[in-house]
Amino acid sequence: MTSKSDLTNETHARSIRVVIVDDHPMVRDGLRSILETYPDLNLVGSLVNGQEAIDQVANLQPDVMLLDLNMPGVNGLSAAEIILERYPEVRILILSMHDSPEYVSTALSHGAKGYILKDVPTEEVYTAIITVMTGQNYLCTRARAALSPAKDTDREPLTSREQTILLQLAQGKSNKNVAEHLEISVRTVETHRKNIKRKLGISSTAGLTRYALEHGVLQGTGGGL
Amino acid sequence: MVFFSQKIRPSYGQKLSILATIPLVLAVAAIAALVTLQSTQLAEKEIKSLEETLINAKKAELRNYVKQATLGFYYIYGRADPDDEEAKKQVMQILSAMIYGTDGFFFVYDYDGTNLVSPRQTEMINKNWSGLADSRGTPVVDELIRIARSGAGYHTYLWPKPSTGEEAQMISYVNGFQNWRWALGTGVFVDDVMATVAAARLEVETRVKLTFFYIGGITLAALLLVFLTGMVINIRERRLADAKLKQLTQRILDTQEEERSRVARELHDSISQILVGVRFSLELAGRRLNNGDKKGMENLTKGIDTINGAIQEVRRISRDLRPGMLDDLGLGPALKALLDEFSRRTGIQTDIKTVVFRNRLDQDSKIALYRIAQEALTNIERHSEATRVSLSLSGHKKGATLQIIDNGKGFSQNPNQKDSTSFEGLGLRNMMERIEQLDGTIQISSSGAGTTIEAIVPLSHLLPPENKTTEAIEYDLQK
Repeated sequence: MTSKSDLTNETHARSIRVVIVDDHPMVRDGLRSILETYPDLNLVGSLVNGQEAIDQVANLQPDVMLLDLNMPGVNGLSAAEIILERYPEVRILILSMHDSPEYVSTALSHGAKGYILKDVPTEEVYTAIITVMTGQNYLCTRARAALSPAKDTDREPLTSREQTILLQLAQGKSNKNVAEHLEISVRTVETHRKNIKRKLGISSTAGLTRYALEHGVLQGTGGGL
Repeated sequence: MVFFSQKIRPSYGQKLSILATIPLVLAVAAIAALVTLQSTQLAEKEIKSLEETLINAKKAELRNYVKQATLGFYYIYGRADPDDEEAKKQVMQILSAMIYGTDGFFFVYDYDGTNLVSPRQTEMINKNWSGLADSRGTPVVDELIRIARSGAGYHTYLWPKPSTGEEAQMISYVNGFQNWRWALGTGVFVDDVMATVAAARLEVETRVKLTFFYIGGITLAALLLVFLTGMVINIRERRLADAKLKQLTQRILDTQEEERSRVARELHDSISQILVGVRFSLELAGRRLNNGDKKGMENLTKGIDTINGAIQEVRRISRDLRPGMLDDLGLGPALKALLDEFSRRTGIQTDIKTVVFRNRLDQDSKIALYRIAQEALTNIERHSEATRVSLSLSGHKKGATLQIIDNGKGFSQNPNQKDSTSFEGLGLRNMMERIEQLDGTIQISSSGAGTTIEAIVPLSHLLPPENKTTEAIEYDLQK
């Protein structure tokens, strides 16, 4: 919420604080130069990977974060989830080369507000930024096309954060332990936990442990990998 | 020191050869020794008995001669007095005439040692030979007289052969005529007996030696056979292994080359053509804009659009080469995308069941299972005539299982019997090799009603749950 109050004090009242996160300098700089030509966008930073995005988000206070999916180290999806745990008001817009439905749905399940392919015209990038600022989601045409035949009969997969938390809970850790360990609030853990139980259709913690055991995710401890 | 000990350390094959040959050599040596010993003993016994028989025959002969001679003069001796010199002379004449064979004769000594009859060595007559001994020191005349005094008997000693003058072994039978104090006897040279015995002994020795050589020869042949067989087997095995390795290398090279040429073709046929087109558009745009022609803008837009085509082409090529989704999202989503693509291309109905967990498998198993699914789908598309494919990925206490079921017409049960160079055979073999690399198992069952492929990766390939910081989680996700 802090960013919003800052905005009103800016010279350009409608200026939107934008951060670009991409590991390719050509894309990063090209996009930045083009977006800078739009007067209502304020390019406050360009970062090279997910970890930097997590570290700099408090400092840069972006309204919209353009996040690449494939990055060395922390990739876009995980970075999005962690950033949103702490700053849920940041609108994450995924910028990607991939047009498969799996990418689009995974991005949305990790909390992204939009998904655009890198080969869309710059005008559409701008439209996407404006759209997510109004609180709506934005998918570029091809991403929407990829997603539309939603014949996913499968269970909704866990996000990477949910998976981490499930494993910790299954190992017998309390909400508080998990919260301390991941440096997030107990309430956030509880939210994740609720989502996990909903996705798996399980009501008790013992059930979660049993599920993890039966699916071979807990025994992996001894695998020595 | 270490180097040396390593240098003389025998290989497994050499150890095996040594193990085979040492007992053989030992056994053969023992047999040879035993045979030699036994046969020598037996031969010695035979030779002894032969010698005895021969000597006994000679002895019987001698006694017979003396008996015959005695009969020849007994009519005189029986009636004569001890001092009847006339009778003695008569008898001596008779005996002197009794010569036989080349060296046979009768001799008479009186008990004092004086020779009375010696028809073949007449120079000895009327001389006293008391104390005469042969070259080995055996007393001759004294002993003959002693035997004669006590009746009759045999004596063996060396005596010069009358025919040649050489000394040879002689056996004599001597009989005492006590009235006249005469020792009458005859002797026979037994050098022929000795020669026979020696010849027999030599023959036995030769035979033993020959047997020894035979055994040695047979052993050598056996050893040679063992070594040759070992060597042939060794060479054959190595050649087989070499051939297999060569085949494998060839296959890898072929695949690599095929892949490279495919990528090169794709790059040349699509990307570079598109980019050339873009360059023309941009050049044209530049010229027109330079001349103030507004149409230049159109060319610029067209160029940008065409570049998008290039971007999409690159995306397609790179996805075909290696599905990035496998790394970004994990096996489940990648399989889902693969199946969607397959369904769109072939029109075959598909459904998939995956796990809610993501990226729990290590890199190797993800790729292996993905390629197995790809291979299976290729086979289904090309050969099965199936109308429906079900794919399921599940985690359990023993690891992870990938199952692909189709309702096609199936293929011959044993994939090993199939021609391994055919595409399908090769594909199945690839699947097996991939899963073997992971210590996993693969089951392929096929009938007229369809084919089921079930690949299991052991638990050791599931990543341990991370309870670390975000970095570790992300590391796993990247994998």
